[in-house]
Amino acid sequence: MSHPGQESPQDLAAAYALGALTSEEARGFEAFLAGSVEAQREVAEYREVAALLALAGPEGRLEPGLRDRVLQRVRAGEARSVTPAGGVPRSRSTTTLWLALAAALLAAVGLSTGLLSLRGRVAGLERTLAAREQALDQRQRELEAREATLNAILEPGVQLFQLTATGDPEPGIQLFWDRDRNQAIIHGFRLKAVPAGHAYQLWFIRDGKPVPSVTFKPEPTGHAKVERVEVPATGDISAAAVTIEPESGSPQPTSPILLVGALKKS
Amino acid sequence: MMQTVPFDPPLPRSLSPRGCMAAALGSPQNADDRDLIVRSASGDERAVGALYDRYGSVVYAVAYRIVGQRADAEEVVIETFAQAWREAPRFDVARGSVAGWLTMIGRSRALDLVRARSRRDRITAAAAEQPGGAPGMGDWRPDPSHSVDHTERRVQVQRALQGLSPSQRQAIELAFFEGLSQSEIAERLQEPLGTVKTRIRLGMQKLRESLRPFYFERGT
Repeated sequence: MSHPGQESPQDLAAAYALGALTSEEARGFEAFLAGSVEAQREVAEYREVAALLALAGPEGRLEPGLRDRVLQRVRAGEARSVTPAGGVPRSRSTTTLWLALAAALLAAVGLSTGLLSLRGRVAGLERTLAAREQALDQRQRELEAREATLNAILEPGVQLFQLTATGDPEPGIQLFWDRDRNQAIIHGFRLKAVPAGHAYQLWFIRDGKPVPSVTFKPEPTGHAKVERVEVPATGDISAAAVTIEPESGSPQPTSPILLVGALKKS
Repeated sequence: MMQTVPFDPPLPRSLSPRGCMAAALGSPQNADDRDLIVRSASGDERAVGALYDRYGSVVYAVAYRIVGQRADAEEVVIETFAQAWREAPRFDVARGSVAGWLTMIGRSRALDLVRARSRRDRITAAAAEQPGGAPGMGDWRPDPSHSVDHTERRVQVQRALQGLSPSQRQAIELAFFEGLSQSEIAERLQEPLGTVKTRIRLGMQKLRESLRPFYFERGT
């Protein structure tokens, strides 16, 4: 009988059946085994011996539920390997993993939903806050403007003049003239809306002739305010008047005077 | 006595649709092991149940001896029979008995498990020094449902092992239960490789002579 190496088939057959050959030794013996019926019988018998070693320990009682678990695995047709102690079988690991992933996903979705909701609320609050801040800024600017206007008209040397007109309700314009700065503030009230493409235009009457000044449109409330109106620094400013002109203004009045007031030095 | 092994080619699963053949084979409880393999290959789950009834405790015993923990041993049993179910169409009778096949599958799966986990959890060589004294089995008790053959086999196996020299028994158990090669056993025991080979060869020859009448192949 031929055999690999210096050992007899009987030597290797017993060790092979017992699983005591290295991978390399096993491959070499299997090549020999394929051509030896006698060696195959030897191995088959030693396998029976090896299998009986399972009975070397005391007999045990199987858990009653193990049979069902075996059949469940068979029905599932799962091709799985056994996992180490302290761990869980791969299926359970996978299940646990999926459950963990599902839980994490649900948690993430819940968290995301919460975050989205929270972010939505925060965004809404931010918008509200921004709007309120904008309104507050507007109020602040209005107050500052009013304060500036108040300060301007309260400046020493500022004189108030009234431009009046007839009508029902009667419109009017207050003209605060700061002679030191050659500036004026005008405040109109109960002013009617002007036709499209038109505006009220202020005229100073200097030396008996109208000098064109600013144009303005009233708010829906009928009020209008124009600050820092330049007043001619030279000549005799005797009066101020208001007409309706094209909104770009006119060098000369093109319509009847609507409001007029004398500007006399006090 | 040399056991005769009839040539019986593996049953192609494609030629034996599961369920069809099973119905024609009758109750699996009265079938022999090879019939149960044929039934398994044909899709009869009851055949796997019958195999478990016969050899579940054997597979569990070897698994427990190797892995040392009940939960792991049970998982090895489950995987062993699941693998048997999958590979039943390829079962080769020339390679040995069904019980031996199942036992070796269980041993391989158990060793895979042990190799995959930390070495500190392994059953150590101390177990090999105390044959028949597998640790952690105090909650085991005889199962009256087991066949008398298993009980008789167990007695004979333990007696045969006691008939070996301690060094032969140790070398064989290190190979079977710990999956060590002869070279690894020599290294573990600080013995010459040739000495270990001789111990295994002579020990297995003794066991073969002692246990031949009790091979699984003779049925339950």
